[in-house]
Amino acid sequence: MKKLFSLSLMLMVSAFFAVGAFAADTIKIGVQAPITGEYANEGQGIDNAARLLAEQYNAKGGLLGKKLEVFTCDDEAQAMKAAICAKELVEKGVIMIIGSYTSSAAEAAQRTYFRAGVLQTTDGTSDSLTKNGYWTFFRNSNPNSANAAFTADYMVNAAKFKRIAILSDHSSYAQGLADAVTAEVKKVNGNIVYSGKIKANSQNFTPVLTSMKSLNPDVIYFAGYYADGGLIRAQQKQLGINAEFIGGDANDNVDFVKLAGAAAKDAKIVNVPTPDMLPYDSAKKFLAAYNAKYGKEIPSIWALLNADGMFAFLTAIEKTQSTDTKKMSDWLHANELDGFSGKLKWDKNGERVGSTFMVYNIKADGSYEVAYPKK
Amino acid sequence: MDIFLQQVVNGLIIGSIYALVALGYTMVYGVMKLINFAHGDLVALSAYIGLMFYTQLIGMGVMPQSMVVIMVFVLTALVAAAVALLVERVAYRPLRTAPRLSAVVSALGASMMIQNGIMLIWGPNITIFPSDILPAASWTVYGISITFVQAAMIIITLVLMVSLTLFINYTKMGTAIRASAINQDVAKLMGINVNMIIMIIFVVGAVLGSVGGLFIGMYYRGISFNLGWIYGLNAFIAAILGGIGNIPGSMVGGYMLGLFTALIAGYVSSSWAEAFTFILLILILIVRPTGILGERVAEKV
Repeated sequence: MKKLFSLSLMLMVSAFFAVGAFAADTIKIGVQAPITGEYANEGQGIDNAARLLAEQYNAKGGLLGKKLEVFTCDDEAQAMKAAICAKELVEKGVIMIIGSYTSSAAEAAQRTYFRAGVLQTTDGTSDSLTKNGYWTFFRNSNPNSANAAFTADYMVNAAKFKRIAILSDHSSYAQGLADAVTAEVKKVNGNIVYSGKIKANSQNFTPVLTSMKSLNPDVIYFAGYYADGGLIRAQQKQLGINAEFIGGDANDNVDFVKLAGAAAKDAKIVNVPTPDMLPYDSAKKFLAAYNAKYGKEIPSIWALLNADGMFAFLTAIEKTQSTDTKKMSDWLHANELDGFSGKLKWDKNGERVGSTFMVYNIKADGSYEVAYPKK
Repeated sequence: MDIFLQQVVNGLIIGSIYALVALGYTMVYGVMKLINFAHGDLVALSAYIGLMFYTQLIGMGVMPQSMVVIMVFVLTALVAAAVALLVERVAYRPLRTAPRLSAVVSALGASMMIQNGIMLIWGPNITIFPSDILPAASWTVYGISITFVQAAMIIITLVLMVSLTLFINYTKMGTAIRASAINQDVAKLMGINVNMIIMIIFVVGAVLGSVGGLFIGMYYRGISFNLGWIYGLNAFIAAILGGIGNIPGSMVGGYMLGLFTALIAGYVSSSWAEAFTFILLILILIVRPTGILGERVAEKV
C-alpha cells in the first residue's frame, strides 16, 4: 500500500515536471490583481488587458517562436493574499508579473519577485514602492510627487508663464501638492509672485483674488478641491483678472464646471488621463480591441497602464532576443519606448521617468480637450 | 487705490449678507433674550427652497425670467416665515418660562433638526444654482468691477433695511415691538399681545434671512447643508459687534464685519481672517460689552 502511494506520488511528480518541461515552450506571464473584492472591477480590467495583449502577440506567432501563456492569481487587494500569490506565481515559473492594482499588494509581493528574479510592473502610486531599488521592479504609473514636477514644467517651460500665483487650502493633500509645485517651479527657475491659502468652503474668495490682482499674475494654480476651484474661477473672471486658471487633479469633477458657469471656459485641469483622452494611436487601437473582445470599456487608466508595463516587458524580450530577466531589465533601464500612455522610460529604481499627466482645457460646452502634451 | 476700493466693495457684498442674517438674531434676542441658533440653518433652508421654486417655475415656462425671480423671492420668504413660526411654536414657546439655558439647548436642537433635514432631503453634496438666474452684466467703474448680482444685493439689502427701520420706528406695530423689547410684562399690561409680537419678529427675521439665503445661492452658487453654520456664526458675531438687540447696530455690525474680513483677508492673510474676526469680537466685548451701538441697560441691584 505504501509502495503504491509513493509510486503514485512519483508519478504525480514526474507528471508535474513533464508538464513543466512541456510548458517551457511558452513564455509564462503572471497577473497578480484583485479579481474579487472591493477593487474587482479594476483587477479584472488588468487581467483582461494582459490576456488581450498576450492574444495579440500570439496571433502574430508569439515571441522567440514561443507562445505567451497568462496565469492569474487573485490577491483580493490584500497584502497577505498578495504574498501567497507571489509564491504561487513564482512556482509556476513566470518571468514577469503584471500588477497589482493597489500599492500595498504590489509592495507585499515585491520582495518575493526580486528574490526569484521575476520582473514586476504595477500602477501603484505610493512613493515608497521604488525605495528598495529592486532591479526587477518597474512602476508604470507616476508617483504622487511627479504630478508637481509635471505641473511646474508645464507652467514654466511649455506655457511660459512669467508670473505664477499659487493657491491652496489647508488640507494635507492640497498643501502637500502646493508645496511640491512651489518647490518644482523654483527648481525650473519659475517666478512665483503670489502664494496663499484659502479656507475651504468659505465661498467668498474675492479678498484673496483682489489682492492677487495687483500682482498681475499670468496664471493662478489652485491645488485644492473642485467645490472651491469652481468658485475661485468664477470670482476671478468676475473681478476682471484675466490670468489663466490651472486646477490640480481634485478639480477634475463635473461640479467644477457647474460652479464656474460661463467662466469654466478655458480653465485648465492637470490630471492623469482617462483612457479615451489618450492622444496616441496605439492606445486608441488597443482600447478598440478591448471593447471588441470584452464588449465594454476598460475600467480605468490604471488597467491600461498595466498593459503598458507588460508591453514594455514583451518589447524587451523582442529586443534582447532572450527571456533572461536580468538582460531584459538592463535593456529597459537603458532604453525608451513608446507606450499607450506616452513615453516609457525608467530610472534605476524602477521609477517611471516623464509622466502620464496631461493638461485638459475645458471647452465652452463643459467637455474636456487635451491641451498638453499635443500630438 | 483701486485695489483698496475693490476690497471695500467685496466687503460690502459679504457684509450685506451678514447684515441681513444678523437682523434675524438681533430682533429675536431683543424681545426674547434668546439666541435663535436655528436662524442660520433657516437661511440655508431658504437657499434650497428657493432653488426648488426656481426650477419648478422655470420648468412651467409661462412667466418671464424677471417675474420668476420675484416669485422665487416671495414664495421662499413665505415658506421661511412658516418654518420660523413652526420652530418658534415647537421649540421656544413651551420653554418661554423655563430657565434660559433650556431655550438655548432647544435652539441648538432646532438647528440640528433643520440641518439634518436638509441633508436628508437634498443630500450631503453641494447643490448648485444655475448661473443664469440673474443677468450676467457687469460694470467697471474706476477700475472696480461690480456685477449685476452684486449691485442688486447691495441695493435690495439697503431697501430692506430702510423699510425695517421705518417699520420699527414709525408704525404702531413697531412701537409695540420696541415696548416688548424693553419689558414684556409691562407691555402685556398695556394691552400688547406679546405672543403676536414674537411671531411677527420671527416672521420678519425669517424673511430677511431668506433673502440672505437666496443671495448666497445666486451669488456664490454652490450651497451645502452646513451652509447655515458658516453664515450663522458670522452673522451672530456681526450682531454682537453692532450690539445684539439693537437693529441699526446689527446693520452696522454686518457691514463692519464684512469690510473687516475683506481687508484682513486681502491685506494680512486670508487663512487668518477668521482668527482676526474673533480677536475683534473679544476686543469689542472687553472695551464695549454691549456692542458698538448697544446701550448700557441699568441693572437693578
